[in-house]
Amino acid sequence: MTVDDWLAAFAAELRRRRVDPAALVAEAATHLRDSGRAPLQVFGPPAAYAVTLVDSLRGATAELRRAPSGEPRLEATKIIKRYGRSTVLHGVDLRVHAGETVAIIGANGSGKSTLLRICAGLISPDSGHVRIRGTLGYCPQDGGTADFLTADEHFVLVGAGRGSSRTEARAQGRTAAAALDWPRPGTSGVARQLSGGTRQKLNLVLAGLGDPDVLLLDEPYQGFDNGSYLDFWQQVWRWRDAGKAVVVVTHRLGELDRADAVLDLTPGSPR
Amino acid sequence: MERRQQWLRGVLDLCVLGALTRGESYGYEIGQRLEAGGLGPIAGGTLYPALLRLERLGLVVADWRAGDGGPSRKYYRLSAEGKATLASAGADWAVFVGNVNAIMEVP
Amino acid sequence: MRILTVAEMALREISRRRGVLILLALLPLAFYYSRRGEAYWQSVRFVSLGIGWTLSTAALFAGNAARTIEPRLRLSGYATHELYLGRLAALWTVGLTLIVPYFLLIRLDLDVRYGAVALILLLTVAVAAPFGLALSALLPRELEGMLVLLTVVAMQMMLDPETTVAHALPFWFSREIGTYAIENPADPHLMTRGTIHATITLAVLISMVAITSTIRLRRRPHMSLAAQ
Repeated sequence: MTVDDWLAAFAAELRRRRVDPAALVAEAATHLRDSGRAPLQVFGPPAAYAVTLVDSLRGATAELRRAPSGEPRLEATKIIKRYGRSTVLHGVDLRVHAGETVAIIGANGSGKSTLLRICAGLISPDSGHVRIRGTLGYCPQDGGTADFLTADEHFVLVGAGRGSSRTEARAQGRTAAAALDWPRPGTSGVARQLSGGTRQKLNLVLAGLGDPDVLLLDEPYQGFDNGSYLDFWQQVWRWRDAGKAVVVVTHRLGELDRADAVLDLTPGSPR
Repeated sequence: MERRQQWLRGVLDLCVLGALTRGESYGYEIGQRLEAGGLGPIAGGTLYPALLRLERLGLVVADWRAGDGGPSRKYYRLSAEGKATLASAGADWAVFVGNVNAIMEVP
Repeated sequence: MRILTVAEMALREISRRRGVLILLALLPLAFYYSRRGEAYWQSVRFVSLGIGWTLSTAALFAGNAARTIEPRLRLSGYATHELYLGRLAALWTVGLTLIVPYFLLIRLDLDVRYGAVALILLLTVAVAAPFGLALSALLPRELEGMLVLLTVVAMQMMLDPETTVAHALPFWFSREIGTYAIENPADPHLMTRGTIHATITLAVLISMVAITSTIRLRRRPHMSLAAQ
């Protein structure tokens, strides 16, 4: 492999990983000129070297994300839903693979929550089909908790459904709560004594309990402060990196560049 | 040979910092200093990721200089944190090596 | 077993609702003493109605509270029957705990057929729990449910037990078996009729709970789920 070929391949690999190649290629080129040896000897294959450099730059371990492949975990086809005489969903399609995040956006009343509830199997569409491969977790905008049970009791109750033992369920619940900046759920009292934001954190933790393969989240961050909101997205990306299919209904457009795909339900926009 | 590579992997970052105490330098020359110091040839594929890590952690600072009649080069120098880290890590290392020597009964 | 987990959590929930517990404990007592004077033989019937009413109320509130969390429990893997059977088990446990002191009270205070009294109390608990749960499934809010309960109890007290409408009331059996408990000589047919009525009412109410839950929490036809 000639130096130029190697440098060109190296640059392409960097660009593929959304890193500006200019400085890194220049430094490698200078080094090769100084040492006078073959690039494969000095640096190894360009793709592997690019990955190592990018990891050093970003401080992350090798990317766990796989490109979407195989059968989708969630497949909704031609979903139509009418309320009275108005049609809310006009034949919507949604496909989410393992390790993918999809954001659903749209104006108020555009049917985002309805679509999610249909995908969770809580309401029926007028026509259309939903196929789920694996287990399912759903987090509504509010509700989903019992007023007079403590957080730990919620963890045990929901965990038992997924086949977790009490200790497992409690440990999993408490760990997930801590990741959302709720450090001591065991001492919080019953659910109705929690603040709105904390109760929603409980809701979100319960949705993810037992490691479901598909997660449907309907703007679950109601009442979260800014720090917790960021923690929420960190959790979404952790779920995605772990191979789950995650769907988030959101009206906060700033996060869209971090989702793998966006579904815009505003009437008139391309599907 | 295998064992040496493993040892080197553990201390390469600190050796790079050490090589820069003599003064700032660019990638190829840093590799030369390490080789001259007895560590053997350091592959570019190993050296540059280490330099980038050190830069990301703020232990070295880098800038590009126009070369005299040649291409511009990226020069690295120790930052204040880098000096401090080298000092404390160096002390830890001495203790560590001492213990290892004692256990292995190195004369 | 998961039914036990559902039952345990339902019990914990009820035990934290102080108002409901106080009502459960004391309201039947008030009913008992309301007739303790001249018509003391009515005390047995009234106390059992009081127990039936408050346990049905507790069941009504328990059923409504469960509505927001049951869809999530279904998604987590519970079968529908585990959910309503667990809740029924918890309510029956509460009821059984409640009737022990009242049975002892009657045992010490009145001279009646204690076997029949025990039967009335047991059957009342058995019927009250699914009655309250069925109401919570059919009526959207606690208020409507409470009004229906009030109406049922009032009609139970006032209607002539021989009319057809009275037969349709869920606690009709308590008057039949109650009469057997206090009259001397007593007609054993009363026991038989009362027990049959209670058994039929129980079967109908449990079926209503099962059917409404199954419909509400059913797997919808547009969904297909595969293991992987």
